[in-house]
Amino acid sequence: MKNSKSLNLREIVVISSISIVFGVLYLLWIFFGQLIEGIFGPVARGLISGFWIMAPIVCAYIIRKPGVALVGELIAAGTEILVGSVSAGAVLILGFTQGLGAELALALLLYRSYKLPALMLAGVFGTFANFVTIYFMYGYSQYSSVITGLMLIAMLISGAVLAGWGSKKLADALCRTGVLDNFALGKIYREQRVNEDELSQHS
Amino acid sequence: MLEHYQKNGFFLQEVNPTLKLFSVLIVIFFMVPVFDPWTPLLMLIITLTLIIFLGGISPGFLFKILIPFSFFAFSFIWINVVFPSDRGDTVLFFIGSMPVALENVLTGLSLGLRSLLFISWSLLFVLTTEPTKLMLSLIQHCKLPPRFGYGMMAAYRFLPLFRQELEQIRAAHRIRGLGEPRGIKDKIRESKMVIIPLMAGAIRKAERVAIAMESKGFDGSRERTYYHAVPWTKKDMFFGIFLFILYAGLTAIRVRFVI
Repeated sequence: MKNSKSLNLREIVVISSISIVFGVLYLLWIFFGQLIEGIFGPVARGLISGFWIMAPIVCAYIIRKPGVALVGELIAAGTEILVGSVSAGAVLILGFTQGLGAELALALLLYRSYKLPALMLAGVFGTFANFVTIYFMYGYSQYSSVITGLMLIAMLISGAVLAGWGSKKLADALCRTGVLDNFALGKIYREQRVNEDELSQHS
Repeated sequence: MLEHYQKNGFFLQEVNPTLKLFSVLIVIFFMVPVFDPWTPLLMLIITLTLIIFLGGISPGFLFKILIPFSFFAFSFIWINVVFPSDRGDTVLFFIGSMPVALENVLTGLSLGLRSLLFISWSLLFVLTTEPTKLMLSLIQHCKLPPRFGYGMMAAYRFLPLFRQELEQIRAAHRIRGLGEPRGIKDKIRESKMVIIPLMAGAIRKAERVAIAMESKGFDGSRERTYYHAVPWTKKDMFFGIFLFILYAGLTAIRVRFVI
């Protein structure tokens, strides 16, 4: 059970509770995002869209098993609906495609690398999937290609910075509190600490 | 408020959550190729009527939720007028030197109404479905592994505790002399200081709950009994038939008038 590739209950509940926190934040973010889109248009909304890919990347970075990104984002979408999201249908479809995007990026790296570039790639793939989905769902094909192009660029930047770098920052900060010691990320941190201690003793 | 509506026993509340969730997805797929304003308008009226009469939701409450989202819907109109993929020929008037074409306004209107329709159909689901019932239905009818279903429900139960914990963290910050946040900059700084302890607490609680569940014999297998079974009833059949007639009718009208 310890090193199995499938998720155990402990990991599922932890993913869910991380996603619950994000689910509530997403709810606030939807209002914020819609306000921004209403006033500044979809390009500005693109810049904050990476936030939606944070839940799967944080979960994947912490637990480091195949499928965590997709499952994490689906659970985040599910909890968002439980909490009472006003865009339940869109959330469910977006959750699936975004999770799939992030998962694909990690799968391409054979689930070996969880360094910053890998996470940024996952964020970029995630926001790209988000873009393709809303392109069809909200009929963005009716806009000029200049604005959809700008929007895509804004979203990809947001995916790399907010989703990639932001998630890593958040997860590392969580790890320093010690609550993740039983998970893959916490174990790596502990090994590093032990190695550093040995080095300092030898010198 | 939400819970009160989710439990009030009107027709929609009794429909199987899985079927309702499915209907939310259908509406999205149905609207993808639609770019005229009449179809979403008609659908929006039907949806709101359903929510008010079959869901027993008060109209005032419903519109209070929808008003902020009409901002979002409005953005579709102005973006379509300013940045259309091809500008229409029927120029209504000029803003400065920019022509405003009827076709673009109508497309924008259609997309705006579409987004409102998605939101109202989601409200139909969210306002009439108890979260627990949804999860049980997904486990019983959609082959969602119980480990995931019950795991999510356990985490969902933390939600009220978060508010309490948030108060505690804030009080702890105050007692250490960090003061009250003033202005937007302070608020952002405060939210950064709050989110990590909040999440750390959530993870700690999650681990404890998972261990408790396992120690009481929850093994996540499918061979289990349920205290609440979510049944399929005649109401589901009626709702299914209604959906079929609705989409068949809409398709027929669209084939006749639009295409």
